[in-house]
Amino acid sequence: MGIEIIFKITAIGLLTAILGQILKQMGKDEISTITTVAGFVVVIIMVLNLISDLYSTFQTIFNL
Amino acid sequence: MEIILKIVAIGIITCVATILIKPIRNDFSIFIAIAGGLIIIFMIINYLTGIFATFSTLVNATGLNGGIYTFLIKIIGIGYLIEFTAGICSDTGNASLGDKVLLGGKIVVMVMSLPIVINILKIIMDILPT
Repeated sequence: MGIEIIFKITAIGLLTAILGQILKQMGKDEISTITTVAGFVVVIIMVLNLISDLYSTFQTIFNL
Repeated sequence: MEIILKIVAIGIITCVATILIKPIRNDFSIFIAIAGGLIIIFMIINYLTGIFATFSTLVNATGLNGGIYTFLIKIIGIGYLIEFTAGICSDTGNASLGDKVLLGGKIVVMVMSLPIVINILKIIMDILPT
């Protein structure tokens, strides 16, 4: 659990944005959309893992 | 206490990353903010266990009923959890949803602490001369 997850999310955002722009320039609009959605889903899964970790930690510490 | 430097650094890095990503992908800035907050919470949560262990040794030394103490810890946990969840809701732009989460937490704490109030009232009724 460290700071690298923030860098990861930022990198995924930049990468998917650049990739989407390049694909759009090449005329492959549908693949560009899929790239954007894939980046979004990956980041959502990462953040949801963090949140579920937090809630299970709270459950063990506070005996909820 | 080099942990405070770490917390400050994580806060600043999260802010910079959020500002950096906002013009490129607006939807990712919320995720970065949530992840930064979670990392800070994970860093300080170990200290919380230490604090509670110290308090539980104190309670054991006084010979009080341990059940009420665990109850108190539970209520504190609900408070932290609700506060943090409401913060996430507000971050994503749903301030009213965050308020509702807070209201739910308050109601749950109230329901949980009602038996203690009843117990106190019973003790007072026993003490009072009829």
